[in-house]
Amino acid sequence: MNKLTSVQDLNALRAKLVADRNAIKKSVSVCLGTGCRAYPSAAVADAFAEQVKKHGLEKDIVIRRTGCHGFCERGPMAMIFPEKICYFQIKVEDVPEIVERSLVNDEVVDRLLFEDEATGKRIAQQHEIPFYKLQNQIVLGNNILIDPKSIDDYIALGGYSALAKALSDMDPVGVLQEVKKADLRGRGGGGFPAGIKWETTRNAPGEPKYVIVNADEGDPGAYMDQAVLEGNPHSVLEGLILGAYAMGSTQGFVYVRQEYPQATQHIGIAIEEAKKYGLLGDKILGSDFNFEVMIHQGAGAFVSGESSALMTAIEGMVGEPRPKYVRTAVKGVYERPSNLNNVETWANVPLIINNGSDWFRSMGTDGSKGTKIFSLVGKVKYTGLVEVPMGLSLRQIIFDMGGGIRGGKKFKAVQTGGPSGGCIPEQYLDTPVDFDELSKMGSMMGSGGMIVMDENTCMVDVAKYFTSFLADESCGKCVPCREGLRQLKRILKKITDGNGEETDLQLIEELGGFMHDASLCALGQTATNPVMSTFKYFKDEYEAHVKDKKCPSCVCQALTTFYIDPEKCTACGMCFKQCPTDAILGDKKVVHIIEQEKCIKCGTCFNVCPTRFSAVVKIPGTTAPAPVPFGTKAKKSSKGDK
Amino acid sequence: MEKTKSRIVGVRVNKDQEAMLSELQKRAKMTKSEILLQGLETLAEYYTLGPEQEPMETALRRMEKDALHHMMSLKKIRRKEEAIRDFVREIRAVDEIIDKHGCDKSMLIQIMLDVQKQNNWLSKPALLWISERLGVPMAQIMRIATFYTAFSLEPQGRHMVQVCTGTACHVRGAEELLTRMQGVIKVAPGETDDEQKFTLKTVNCLGCCAMGPVITVDGDYYSNPNVEQLKQMGEKYE
Amino acid sequence: MKDVTFKIDGSDVSVAEGTTLLEAAKSIGIQIPTLCHHQDVESAGVCRFCMVEVKKGNRTRLVASCVYPAEQGIEVQTDTEKINSVRKMILELLLPVAASGPIKALAKKYGIEKSRFEVAKEEQTHCTLCGICVRYCDQVTQEHVAGFVGRGVKRKVALMAEKGDQCVFCQKCYDLCHGGRFIEIAEGFPEIL
Repeated sequence: MNKLTSVQDLNALRAKLVADRNAIKKSVSVCLGTGCRAYPSAAVADAFAEQVKKHGLEKDIVIRRTGCHGFCERGPMAMIFPEKICYFQIKVEDVPEIVERSLVNDEVVDRLLFEDEATGKRIAQQHEIPFYKLQNQIVLGNNILIDPKSIDDYIALGGYSALAKALSDMDPVGVLQEVKKADLRGRGGGGFPAGIKWETTRNAPGEPKYVIVNADEGDPGAYMDQAVLEGNPHSVLEGLILGAYAMGSTQGFVYVRQEYPQATQHIGIAIEEAKKYGLLGDKILGSDFNFEVMIHQGAGAFVSGESSALMTAIEGMVGEPRPKYVRTAVKGVYERPSNLNNVETWANVPLIINNGSDWFRSMGTDGSKGTKIFSLVGKVKYTGLVEVPMGLSLRQIIFDMGGGIRGGKKFKAVQTGGPSGGCIPEQYLDTPVDFDELSKMGSMMGSGGMIVMDENTCMVDVAKYFTSFLADESCGKCVPCREGLRQLKRILKKITDGNGEETDLQLIEELGGFMHDASLCALGQTATNPVMSTFKYFKDEYEAHVKDKKCPSCVCQALTTFYIDPEKCTACGMCFKQCPTDAILGDKKVVHIIEQEKCIKCGTCFNVCPTRFSAVVKIPGTTAPAPVPFGTKAKKSSKGDK
Repeated sequence: MEKTKSRIVGVRVNKDQEAMLSELQKRAKMTKSEILLQGLETLAEYYTLGPEQEPMETALRRMEKDALHHMMSLKKIRRKEEAIRDFVREIRAVDEIIDKHGCDKSMLIQIMLDVQKQNNWLSKPALLWISERLGVPMAQIMRIATFYTAFSLEPQGRHMVQVCTGTACHVRGAEELLTRMQGVIKVAPGETDDEQKFTLKTVNCLGCCAMGPVITVDGDYYSNPNVEQLKQMGEKYE
Repeated sequence: MKDVTFKIDGSDVSVAEGTTLLEAAKSIGIQIPTLCHHQDVESAGVCRFCMVEVKKGNRTRLVASCVYPAEQGIEVQTDTEKINSVRKMILELLLPVAASGPIKALAKKYGIEKSRFEVAKEEQTHCTLCGICVRYCDQVTQEHVAGFVGRGVKRKVALMAEKGDQCVFCQKCYDLCHGGRFIEIAEGFPEIL
């Protein structure tokens, strides 16, 4: 790898790489994002390599192990080029056929294409699949085209041309102005205009200035940044270098959470490769701009993703938030001006520089320009990552793209914004998704997590879940957050255990307001959002738990009763054998009965009762119907069973 | 049987066993006079550091005690000299990590992460060494070691089992999976089993939400394993 | 060093740039109550007891006066209904955990006889986690013996063992503690790792 000492060098290299790339007739991109590693995707990729070798075509067919393609529900997946045929749920046994028919020849293996449920049609092209139709993958789109460990792939697709443009045709202020004009708002949850933050950093006194990538993505259920950092690390790096140029920074940091080993590895490789090409270090591309980047890993703390906490961790001290009355853009790491932005925010920067702020502004709503990547997870049919222009509605995302609720159940709520956000019920499904609209509903867009919930989700349990999460992750230094969460957790447990009182509901409201006003950092200030939003829209569930001692969704064990329906029981004995406390009375051919005093509500009987009988049911509340007399004959099971 | 001071660390042995162990060891590579001369040279080096240092004999005695105590806590049977050499090896490995990060205070957390990864836990001697070399108070190191979930102040199992309890996995039944897991490998979350085989931890989002509820064992991912599959897993990992 | 002029409780005050609101208030005779503040150590801003209302432009919010730097033209209120309810809640939350003499007395002063909250027995640590002892040991005596361990409700003050027996026994931590943690222990150290 030779160092590129000028923009001309870079252009010449790119021309060569493009020619090399075009000379390859066929290629296949296999998704090896972390989400797909739980499938045997690595084995599938290996199988492709093996089969291609068998045909003696290693020089003619390229196999790319790429980052996330987005349609995580249907992995292992691959795309065949140049035809752009998408194959899903590929088994290792399918690979020889795919190689034979689609790579060596030009055929399509129909059964591995996506099948549209409504029409029964098979769809080969990605943009025609409902999951992808409404997407505009300006950030994620290149994942499928590049090997994230190869800087050459990135350059061949135009990578680092934004940097070249900035260094040759623009001055630092010009770069900053373009980002400011584009109205790029922070994608990490805060939504603060990046251009304004950049300007504050640039104008603040003090050297050196620092630029930081926040890759501590802590919201559970959100993994957008993982996909970008793993799948296209150079896009983030190029954005960071452009930012450093614009703000006058010579030192950058990438803070990656420790739970993302593959992303850490890929950004590490990217930095090393960029250094070798002279895109990092001294005299970048022959200019007099110098810039270095270091990686810091998190060590398992959600609160360390808060900007002042993250900067403290970079200094080598424990990553706890600090009272932040002076902006970190003015006084951050070592009291120097420090600009921190989210992974997705940085990835948008090269696009803005290359295509212009007008192009960026042509997408999205008035207040929220551009696109946003969302993680669509939970009880939705098609789980995965989607990148859409701001302003699409929740209904379009969850139903048109996500396919609605899995298992034919009914939609109940969608939780957005992670532990700082809230739940949005059915009546607001047509709300457009952007920075401001969801906040009006008492939630927020946050970093982009969308957890879809159905009729079997208990909203009080959801509130308890988030409160426990925050109680675990709170740094504990300030009274409102630490003690407030301690009490909230205790009260919610009391309610789900069946000991809730009216006064508990009042205490929750009071604590909510207090923590919002008095906490030191955003964790504490927004900690009661999940509780308050479920309270607002699902008050009936709270009252059912407190007044009626019932869990309507049959989730809270203490307020749910298990019962064997005597009309459905066929005395197969599965529950009888597996009950851990021998709480089931039963015998051959007689209806089985649960002895409620012995039942520990573990749910084993419910899980093992064969679905064709479905005799074990969950009833909200603490009482079961009076049991039939022991010895009542069970209905015969239908012919051919057992 | 006469009472002689045993040179074996970690367990009581009788004279025959000790003789056998001694037979198995190579003889010392240097003579007594060579060792003493080398010691004198080292002593002179130490004096050049200046008069404020604690006397070398005291420092060495303290470190010897640490070394033997450390080996005993790891339940390793060693002759004294082996115990001390193992200890030195471990400390030198920590040294390498510190040097790799430029002996820079701001890299404290990164250094601790590397040591944790290498040894599967953070031992007291390792932390004291980091404190000594970086010039960082032990209080700060312990602050970090107890704040973050990535660190363990006790030896962990050979295999790390992580159950994802992120929101998406939670609504898909992560709690039940955790209970199943506990039932099979007989460990509570945050703890290690008696044979030091498995350590069980919960983690807040692995980023595999389509597979939820998901677990990893040593970086291998499994989606919603049932009791049978968990039992097989228990066997697969030694 | 520039001077900034602003209002506290309606009165004009002029202080050097960078002065905290707490100090500025003190300079005109207003004593804002605190729990985690001590003149010998740096402010931490963790107890939130010293919160005041600051009006800047047309935005009003609560800030911790011990760390908030004075700004030109702001209007500060040190004793409003909101502030009072925040302080009451802080005491109500601390009482179950740290029901020492000083805390009980302070609670009574704010009209709280009994807290509506409770904690399990093992959570009654008698420590408000104000951290004065830690900061003193770090910044003044510089022995670095006392420190925090753990996070969230598991956060506590600990004395680091191998340093513990090098502790100079200045007993400042005993003197400074108002939560009752050190007071309750007769001799030896409350917690050694």
